[in-house]
Amino acid sequence: MNVTCNDRDRIFEDGTPEEWAALEAHASGCPACAEELRAWRTLSVAAQELRDYSESPALWARIERALVEESPAKPQPVNRRRWFFFLPSIPLGWQTAVAGAFVLVLTLSAGWIYLHRPIRNVDTDKSLLKSGALRDVETAETAYVQAIDKLAAEAKPELENSSTPLLANYHEKLLVLDSAIADLREQAGMNPSNAQLRYQLLAMYREKQHTLEEVLEAKQQ
Amino acid sequence: MGTMGLALPWEARISSAPRERGTRVEPFQHFSGGTSPAAGDATDEDATLAAACQSGDLRAYERLYVLHGARMKNVARNLLGSPMDAEDAVQDTFLKIQRGVASFRGQSSFVTWTYRILINTCYDARRSRLRKKEIANDDSGETPRPELRAPGAHPSLRMALERALAALTRHQRDVFLLYEVEGFRHAEIAGMLEITETASKNTLFQAKKNLRQMLEPPRSSGAEAR
Repeated sequence: MNVTCNDRDRIFEDGTPEEWAALEAHASGCPACAEELRAWRTLSVAAQELRDYSESPALWARIERALVEESPAKPQPVNRRRWFFFLPSIPLGWQTAVAGAFVLVLTLSAGWIYLHRPIRNVDTDKSLLKSGALRDVETAETAYVQAIDKLAAEAKPELENSSTPLLANYHEKLLVLDSAIADLREQAGMNPSNAQLRYQLLAMYREKQHTLEEVLEAKQQ
Repeated sequence: MGTMGLALPWEARISSAPRERGTRVEPFQHFSGGTSPAAGDATDEDATLAAACQSGDLRAYERLYVLHGARMKNVARNLLGSPMDAEDAVQDTFLKIQRGVASFRGQSSFVTWTYRILINTCYDARRSRLRKKEIANDDSGETPRPELRAPGAHPSLRMALERALAALTRHQRDVFLLYEVEGFRHAEIAGMLEITETASKNTLFQAKKNLRQMLEPPRSSGAEAR
């Protein structure tokens, strides 16, 4: 096949393999066509520089996430159902027997747990103070006693004189309260965790406090 | 124009593996006719992949990514100029495939259809980016001019080619990239760009002619130097 310089562009655009071979043969004796052919091929070689198939490790994970998020019909939860996939192959009678046995075991277990549950005496628990709480109570009590003692010191001159029958009654009441407080403190000392004793002692202290306040009010009047 | 579910007048199929570097130098290598056993396998795989994607199987999408992900990213990177934008475009393409795969009727190769979506996605991204740039330029009052000729201070071949490609028309750039860089056949490119095979050949010829003019050293300055 003979080709000329005029055929060059046509072959570049849509030449057959035979025409390309003929153009190469022609170019071996034609410097202009040889230069054009070389430049034409250089472009193809240069184009390879634009090829970069490097990996993007995170890209598929990103695409997968987006696909799942946008999935029109979420895939069926196959894994969740898989564990009882074998059931349809078992006869109905066996399935019922297994279900019944399961219910029986469940009932027996629940009964056993109910009967053997730890029985706790709520009242006992409530009436006992734990060590931390006891420490707090004793601290507060000491401060309270000291405050009442200050009050008693202020009221002491009036009570010792007892110029009126009212003050004499107060004095007597306070002696009874002190006696009761001493008694309760003795009991609390033997059983410091007993909250009931502590409540009674507190009530006594309150009563003593109110009595002393009344004595001081009577003094002011 | 819609991107998905369009019928193509040809039956060309795309092989899954990109060609090795350097194999696309002689254009006449692609004129072999007939259907090889490998081509038949590719056709089967293509149909299987399409069916699996239609059934919503995520593994099919993963297979598509394994076979074509790197090539798709390279096409997108060359069209958009940025690896980050390219990854976004590939992701968008997969989402568009998922949304539109039900309308795929198999008139074209599934992979050709995929690349057509990718190319349209890249151009959507480019348009959106240009719009943003226009707004920014309106603010600054400057209009950047594309550099048509490669700078003479020994630029790398790749950079020179990228700059020259940016000065081509959209179709010329697309055809050059798909044929010379990615190694697709004209029949495949015709399917992706919705043009005829002859138009693809003609566009490639024009693209290479223009590139040659842009990349060759300026003759006038060479003559002055002498």
